[in-house]
Amino acid sequence: MEKELVEYIVRSLVDQPDNVEVNVVEGEKSTILELRVSPDDIGKVIGKQGRIAKALRTILSATATKSGKHASLEILD
Amino acid sequence: MTRDFEGKTEQDAINQAIEALHIEREDFDVEILDNGKRGLFKKANVKIRVHIDSDSDDEKDSKPFIPSDDSTSDADYADDYDQEEEEDLEPNEELEQKVCEFIDQMVSHMGYESKTTVSSRKGKKVNLEITSESSSIIIGRKGKNLDAIQVLANVYAGKIDTERKIIVDSEGYRLRHEEQIIKTAYRTAMQVRKTGRSRLLEPMNPYERRLVHTALNDVTGIETKSEGEGLYKQVRVISKRKRY
Repeated sequence: MEKELVEYIVRSLVDQPDNVEVNVVEGEKSTILELRVSPDDIGKVIGKQGRIAKALRTILSATATKSGKHASLEILD
Repeated sequence: MTRDFEGKTEQDAINQAIEALHIEREDFDVEILDNGKRGLFKKANVKIRVHIDSDSDDEKDSKPFIPSDDSTSDADYADDYDQEEEEDLEPNEELEQKVCEFIDQMVSHMGYESKTTVSSRKGKKVNLEITSESSSIIIGRKGKNLDAIQVLANVYAGKIDTERKIIVDSEGYRLRHEEQIIKTAYRTAMQVRKTGRSRLLEPMNPYERRLVHTALNDVTGIETKSEGEGLYKQVRVISKRKRY
């Protein structure tokens, strides 16, 4: 659910959508989404002063969650 | 004694009255003859009639404020003007359709439904309207979800056409919010002018700060400066009156 959301948005923004990978780490109270993109695209998902990353996290936190769990996004490189 | 004044806003008209008659705001009553409202985006000048108490013409306060000398010392203020006058670009329908679809897909992945359409175009700007039953979530607290959607929509649009700027709105939130910002700015300016003490407004993005600077530019006796670092700076409203 959150995984699909992040995948959809990030794939729409980057130049190499095939290299977008989202790993879900389920915790007891929260879900961590680990995002990996092609090194050339990392700037596209972070943005100047983290603007894009921040927008992604805002959207993620506004997402309707059936589980009521908090989801956080980590961008790995 | 009554005099009539006209200005872009009610406040503007009041300020003209204050300047022309050399009186304090407390010394007169304002009657609005024409509030200038001509629908959502059209605004005419506001006409007011000023009623002055005849016994309030004591000379001591006759020139309380120095007229503004147009030196506005703000870095992000200088480059604010060039966005105004520009040619309308040909509508890029392919881009518009794709961006609308992107937003609706994103919202649907978030677990809500929406329909995004183009509401207007001006210059480089394309205004989009998100219609949704869940518009309160789409907008978010202080519009933060709407801003996030706008950031992402612009990155997406930038991949197709770097010339356009996408503005995303829902339920007229942006207009309401802008009016609110300007109202607060005026209220603060009046307080600063009265007390001589500077006040700091809450953090705002460059566009919102520009609204404040522009709105308070014609208010005499005060000046505005941005403080802080990063995208969200705070505007300080400072009195120009010398304090003894």
